[in-house]
Amino acid sequence: MKIARTLLTLAAAGVALASTALAADKELNLFAWSEYVPQKVLDGFTAETGIRVNYETFASGEEMLAKINAGGSAYDVIQPPDYIAEAMIQYGLLQPLDYGKLTHFKNIMPEFLKMPHDPEQKYTVPYMVSTVGIVYNSEKVTKPVKGIKDLFAPENKGRIVSVDDGRELIVAALYTLGLPLNEITPENLAAAKPLLAQWYPMIKKFDSDSPKTALLDGDVDFGYVWGGEAARLWEENKKFKYVLAEEGAHMFFDLLAIPKDATHVDAAHLFIDYILRPEVSAQISAEFPYTNPNSEARKLLTPEQLANPASYPTDKRKLDTFRNLGKASVLIDELTTDLKNAQ
Amino acid sequence: MQSLSPGSPDNTHARRPRWLGWLLLAPMLAWLLLFVVVPMGILFVYSFCQRDDLGRVVFSFTWENYERVFTPIYLAILWRSVLFAALTTALCVGIGYPVAWYIARQTETMRNRLLLLVMIPFWTSFLIRTYAWITILKGEGLLNSLLLSSGAIVKPLELLYTPFAVVIGLVYAYLPFMILPIYGSAEKLDNAIVEAAHDLGAGPVRVFSEVVIPLTRPGIAAGILLVFVPAIGMFAISDLMGGAKVPMIGNVIQNQFFTARNWPFGAALGIVFTLLFVIAYTLVQRRQKRRANVPQA
Repeated sequence: MKIARTLLTLAAAGVALASTALAADKELNLFAWSEYVPQKVLDGFTAETGIRVNYETFASGEEMLAKINAGGSAYDVIQPPDYIAEAMIQYGLLQPLDYGKLTHFKNIMPEFLKMPHDPEQKYTVPYMVSTVGIVYNSEKVTKPVKGIKDLFAPENKGRIVSVDDGRELIVAALYTLGLPLNEITPENLAAAKPLLAQWYPMIKKFDSDSPKTALLDGDVDFGYVWGGEAARLWEENKKFKYVLAEEGAHMFFDLLAIPKDATHVDAAHLFIDYILRPEVSAQISAEFPYTNPNSEARKLLTPEQLANPASYPTDKRKLDTFRNLGKASVLIDELTTDLKNAQ
Repeated sequence: MQSLSPGSPDNTHARRPRWLGWLLLAPMLAWLLLFVVVPMGILFVYSFCQRDDLGRVVFSFTWENYERVFTPIYLAILWRSVLFAALTTALCVGIGYPVAWYIARQTETMRNRLLLLVMIPFWTSFLIRTYAWITILKGEGLLNSLLLSSGAIVKPLELLYTPFAVVIGLVYAYLPFMILPIYGSAEKLDNAIVEAAHDLGAGPVRVFSEVVIPLTRPGIAAGILLVFVPAIGMFAISDLMGGAKVPMIGNVIQNQFFTARNWPFGAALGIVFTLLFVIAYTLVQRRQKRRANVPQA
């Protein structure tokens, strides 16, 4: 009983604290990918507004959603990937943005708006965009690399790093089979499995956080990676070439959004608008060379940055994005565990 | 590690602790209640629940999660985890025992210095130490360049991202947990007993197997538990040093809570896993007790 009462007192104190913060809006709880928002940008925002930013990180969109589902943490700005944002919108977990407060929103190029994840453009703002493709070390690889079949050619066994993301590899298999990327059904997975069962043992390392490391270290010569990672490799050394697989490729969005139960909504809008400023957005691109959707920011980039084939692919195909899968995510996990286990 | 030593029959005065005893125990009991009993209870409830499309827990009863735990994939992964942990434990005993014994036989100053050396790695974060191993073992890493320049090999060895690397990582991480309890037992061992055994004509092998080992058994048992149990559940090492290729049960459980967002299934795995431990532990305890009782019988 006593413990319960003490806990209640503590909780009350917590609420009191939270509400004082609310009144002042002197802080902002940002929940974003690790290594994606430069400290310089956060410091700049604090210097200008006096709002302190608490930057908490996650390593995957699923992890982010799991933490938000668990509740108990009031984030003001989150950075969901497209298909997670789609699910969150569907379940009413995001609040509509006040675009009137986002004076720099007009900088976002129209081709990155009203995507399937937010068809009415009510809840999200694109942060950065990228693709998933093949990167290879052209000093070690002599044969031309055009697609997934060249990546998973038998002689490349043990020379490949891949993002540790079951869905990405499943989709690569669906492309190879000519099946649509968002139709994750038991039938399609069964069709993809034999192909994946050949591929998995060929992969030397699975790494979603920093697949570039294995390539830089010379441990592998090929990667199936996020475009931004390939872009950083190219910045490091021009021998790293990036291609979008001819069988199929997709892009992904990392967005900014405000969760339904955010407590510092004004600060959140201020922050998002700050990110949309051309000079701030260019600062982000300098550190994390993903595809910048901000047309004004692109004008501030150096020719070298704009020439980066992994940030701004010359391949102008129309690319699809991942959609929310709902229950099928369990199928993906099961198949992935099975494939890894079978090695 | 008190619970591991044979039960002592002469603790009558401690049998009924009065209010002072309870007061002293209170922080511990509160801790156990809040951080062991309550979370296990939540896990237990979750393990019979379902998930919605978003991955939130839905409170409607199902056996499905447990049925899934006992499918071949997950049993195979559990078995593999047990094998890796067993190999790790065996290597830790093999490497740790001589070290612990050696330290225990030194003078006090030397003992303290050596113990400090065993513990120094703990001053650095576990993850940083694991990354250090990556720099040692990688293709163009320290070990390979050393071997290449010495001419021992002509082509870099494939060390990193193999099961071999996982076992190295596990042994490295848990070795101190084997050395310390064995040292504790070995240090208490009276040298006169060893000498007496020699005087009575026992050879070195016999002294070791029939005097030293039984007397340090509590330390070995404690070490085995301290290494084996966490080694089964470890997921960071198989991710970092194994290249996330071969899943351990720890990885699978972690995945359920993050990637797959299937908390009920993760909870069911956790519950089964915990039960297996409790059963294994009880069995070991029983054997231990029986063995301790034999000479008196």
